[in-house]
Parts: sequence; structure tokens; C-alpha cells
Amino acid sequence: MGGGNVIVESLTKRFDDVTAVDDISLEIQPGEFFSLLGPSGCGKTTTLRLVAGFEQPTSGRILLDGVDVARWPPHRRNVNTVFQSYALFPFLTVAENVAFGMKYKSVPKSEVSSRVGEALALVQLSGYEKRRPNQLSGGQQQRVALARALVLRPSVLLLDEPLGALDAKLRRTLQVELGALQKQVGITFLYVTHDQEEALTMSDRLAVMNHGRIVQLGTPEEVYNEPADAYVADFLGVSNLMDARVEPAGDGRGSCRLRLGEFALEAEAGQLDATGSVKVAIRPERIDVFPYGTDGPNHVPGMVERLVFLGSTTQVFLRLATGSALQTLLRNDGTALPYSQGTPVSVGLPADALRVLPDPGVSVAEIHDKTLGDQLLDVTSTASS
Amino acid sequence: MASTVDQSVAAPSGRESLLWRGRPRGNPWRRPWAMEGFTWLYIIWSIVPIAIAVLFSFNKGASQATWQGFSTKWYVGGQVTSVLHNPSLHHAVIQTLILGALTTLITVPIGVGFAIGIDRWRSRTSGGLNFVMIFSFVIPELLLAVALFLLVTQAFTFIRLGTPAEVAGLVVWNISWPAIIVRARLVTIGRTYEEAAADLGASRMGAIRRALLPMLMPAIFASAVLVFASTVDDFVIVEQLSSTANTQPMSVLIYSNVHGGLSGPALNALATIMLIVSLLAALIGFFAYRWMTRGERTKGGAEALTGIAGI
Repeated sequence: MGGGNVIVESLTKRFDDVTAVDDISLEIQPGEFFSLLGPSGCGKTTTLRLVAGFEQPTSGRILLDGVDVARWPPHRRNVNTVFQSYALFPFLTVAENVAFGMKYKSVPKSEVSSRVGEALALVQLSGYEKRRPNQLSGGQQQRVALARALVLRPSVLLLDEPLGALDAKLRRTLQVELGALQKQVGITFLYVTHDQEEALTMSDRLAVMNHGRIVQLGTPEEVYNEPADAYVADFLGVSNLMDARVEPAGDGRGSCRLRLGEFALEAEAGQLDATGSVKVAIRPERIDVFPYGTDGPNHVPGMVERLVFLGSTTQVFLRLATGSALQTLLRNDGTALPYSQGTPVSVGLPADALRVLPDPGVSVAEIHDKTLGDQLLDVTSTASS
Repeated sequence: MASTVDQSVAAPSGRESLLWRGRPRGNPWRRPWAMEGFTWLYIIWSIVPIAIAVLFSFNKGASQATWQGFSTKWYVGGQVTSVLHNPSLHHAVIQTLILGALTTLITVPIGVGFAIGIDRWRSRTSGGLNFVMIFSFVIPELLLAVALFLLVTQAFTFIRLGTPAEVAGLVVWNISWPAIIVRARLVTIGRTYEEAAADLGASRMGAIRRALLPMLMPAIFASAVLVFASTVDDFVIVEQLSSTANTQPMSVLIYSNVHGGLSGPALNALATIMLIVSLLAALIGFFAYRWMTRGERTKGGAEALTGIAGI
């Protein structure tokens, strides 16, 4: 127990001609809840498997509490894993599953059953000792897997999409529980997920990965509010992306003049010293919708394309006169919305909410397809496995 | 010519196109009489001869063609000709059981080892071995039997003809069963359980022993049953590699006596015993497999079905 510092240095893993993990470096503090977030195939699971020891790195170092374990077999590393499929042994009872690893930790026989009891109490499964894994629900199996790993008191717990196979409601409950549990046991968590909501709500810090590299690393607030590029902005929830050009003559007031089609806009966030073509991002909750003809700074005429009632809010799909598609959320306060499909409106894009991002050289649609398509792929692969 | 093509391309449009292919004739949900009838015909065709052979093992007379009343004398009653009392007949039964047991005990562990080796340690060697596994399904059994005969009589003379050579031959011939069935299960269960065991502190061998082998038990058992049943049925290899009358199992004895020598319903009785041993092995295997995999949600039945169907 204790410790739990993880340092990854220039870690690279190549499978034949595919580079799954491409020279990544990061440090995880003891007791931290750290997430790796990205679409499937971004290298997050391979990174976790490298730390667990299931894969040998092509190059680089993995330091656990200062010791390079990159070449150690998994059973010698003081880390434990919670698998996406749980990997509970079907031929053993819940208690036997939880006790499986203690044989190798030279835990005295008298202590084994009390520790199993404690671990099951920790995950609220006391009384289930004699059951078989197949007699448990998915959520319960996930808890057993957690207890089986935590009972060994690892310095780092690795979690590979542990909630991936559960339905949305149970997932949300377990997110909260898992976060609380981590604070309670104080063990470093390295959490792999493709679900941005999960990563944002649970992590102390997170790294967004793409193509085997870390695109951005920071706290959830930093990553959400100040995405480093269009990819991160799009991947972290709905973000409206537009193509724009920077006007050559900035006025030096800490803002950036943009040209969006025939309209001039001012942006005050992001990479204000960018030149040429850029992407501009704005969060749905920052967009204002005014009656058509309302004038003001950063107003662009547009049209309501579609309204989707979501309960507490209504999602509004807008099409700007420049052709860009945006979405926003309007709170349902009891009165009927003054808009319907086809209503012309004036769309306000506040300068402090407009974020200038470097142009990755691909269209907005392509970025969107990439982040969205991969998530769909993830869902199907989870369902089939 | 062109006009015909035009007519066929220009499909009727609108409402008419719905009726284009005409109304369905008859009830499409009716029972498939023709298919059912043919299936039953096939079942009768394949079972009736066996049933008749079994029936005549209970014949009171010495005829294999004329029914003269029920009796168990060919099994236990006859002092000279019953399976129980005729030394060559009951030797054959014992020899078959010995061969079945020995072959199973030797083949299964080796085959399981092959399967794990081929599947878990991928290399050029394992690829070659995998090919050899399939190869033994392809080569004619007689060819293997003759080759083995030459081998044990010319080169490996320390393997004597008779039981040792028979067992050696049967092991070679049957090794693919456990290798392929266990491998199918290895692919089904994947590597996660071994990884989980290693993650919890088990060494490579520990992970195999504590996580993999228990998961493989159903497949190991199914393949043991198959090896046993296929050994009981085997004729070509044991015929080549047996030496004295004492090392002839049931199949060889039946073959060598069918045109003379010991004949009559005693041979039917012997064949019936062979059939029952095989059927029992298959039934035990099927139900034990179902019992062992009862706690699993994985679609593990496939190996059992292919396995049992292969007998």
C-alpha cells in the first residue's frame, strides 16, 4: 500500500506496421484519478495494457514508484486490472474469485476470509460470497471484479472501460460510486474510457488521445473549456465547429478578427495569434438566439432547421447564412418557443465564447465523422463481445 | 432479340407490379412434407440394418437371418460360443477396453498440450504443427497404418507389435481430436482469463493451471470421450499393428471371423457390445459437457455439438 506514482516516458508500442502508442509521456500522482480518453483505436487501451504488463513496449519506460517495470511480467507488478469483460472465473464462487490473488501475496489463511469480507463490503456485495458470477447482474459482476483487484491493495488500479458493458442508468450510478470509492481507498486509478462524460465527471486529470498520441492533458475543466484543437473540442461533447479565416490586421486588443463567409466576427478565446484558415468552436450553451433582424456585434443571420424536445431543454439546430450548422440548447421554462422549423433568426456568437483553434487541415464534417464514427464503432464492438 | 429484352426490363408499374409474380400458390407455412419424409427415410435406411444386427444377437438359433426366438445365450449362456465364455471373444472385449483407456490417457494430455502450444505461443513451429494436426484428418488411415507397421517392424523395433504398437498408432491417429477441440475452446474463451490470473499474481504456468485448465475441462472431457469412442471403432490401425489373437480387439475379431471361423450371432453380440460402448461414451460425454458448461453464458455448445457429431 502507499505510493502509486506512475511515470510513463516516451512509451511506444508498434504492432507490425501499426503504431498503437506513439511516444507518449505522462506522470500520474499518487492517489490521483487519471483518465485516458479517446475513440477506439486511439491507443488508450494499449497504454493501459503496457502498464499492466500484458504487452511489451517497443521502447520507452514505465516507472511505478520510481522503478522501471516495463520489462517485468504482469504478475510481478503491483498493479491490478479491472477488465471490461470483468474476466471473473466462472468456475469459482464470488469469494473464491476475490481470494484468487491472495495466494500469491502470502496472506495468512486466517486473514484471507476477513479480507474477502472487507472487500465485498467495500463494493456493497456482502452476503454474495457463495454465488457464482453467472448468478450476478452485470453491475454486480463489475463490483466483484473491483473487489478482486482492490483486495490485493495495489499501488495502482487499472480500469479498462469498466462500465462499458452496462446500461446508461446503471453506468451513471456506478460512476458516482466509483469516484467515491477511489477517494475512500486512496489508490491511484488509471481509467480508460471512450465516454467523455465519464472522463469529465470522475477524473482529477485526463489525457485525450488520438492516433496513439496525447492531444491534450489537463483537468476536466481545462480540457472542456480550453480545448487544444478542433478534435478535442469535438470529442468532448457537442461542440459547434466552423471554418473561418483570420483577418490579417488584428487590432492588438487581445482579440482576433475573423471572417466567416461574408460576416466579420471577433473572437477573444483560443489561439488569437493564428493566421490564415482556422476552426472556430463555440459551446451550444453559449449561443444566443434572437428574433430575425436584431443587430449587434457578432450577430449572424440564420434559420432554425430542426427542434428536438429533450425534456428540460430543447435542442435547436441552426443553419447560418454562411452554411455552417450549429446547435444550441434552450431551456424549457413553460412558455412555448417562438421558433419552429424554418423560422429565420439572428444568431449571437459572443466574442468571449468564440474559440480560435488551429486548422487540422480537414473539414468540420470529417472531424465530426471521426469522433462520432469511432464511438459508434465502440458501441457495436462492446455489444458483440 | 432486342425487343424481348426491352419487354422484360420494362416491369409493370404501380399496383400491377405487386401482382407481377402472381399469387402465392398453396400455404407457405405448411409442414415441409417432402423434406420431413426424406429425413425419415434416411434415418430408417441407416438405422434398420444396425437394428437387425442387434436383434439377431438375441436369436435362439445359430442363424443370422432366420429368427428363432429370443435368448441371451450368445452373450452369457453358451458355454463355448458366448462372448462371456469364449476366450477369444471376451479377450477381444477386454482388449478393446484396454486400448480405449490407454489411448485416451496418453492422447488427451498430449493433445491438450499441443492445443495450448499452438494457440498461445504463436511461432513458425506452431504454424507447422497446426498443419500437421489437420493433415492427419486428410491422409488415408490405411496409409498411416502401413507406414506405422513398417516403422515398428523395421526402425523402432523397441515398440513391439501388439498392444504397444496398437496404442502408439491409435495415439498418432487420434491426437488431432483433443488438439482441435481444445483449441476451438481456447479461441472461444480468449486470453482474458489468463491475463486476469497473471494480473492477480499467477505466473505463466500458474495461470494455465488455475485459470485456463478449469475453463478447458469441458473440452478436454469431450475430446477424451471422442478419442475413446473412435478407438473402440478403429479397425484399420489395430488390424495392422496387432500381433497374436490375444491383442485383437473386437473390430479385428469380427472382421476376421465374418467369412468363416467363429460365426453366427456371437459376432452380432460382439458388435452390439461395441456399439453400446461407443454410444455410452458419446452419451456420457454429451451430458457431462452440458453439466460442466451449465454455469456459462458463452456460446460454448458449438464444440460439444461438433465433437459429439464427429463420432
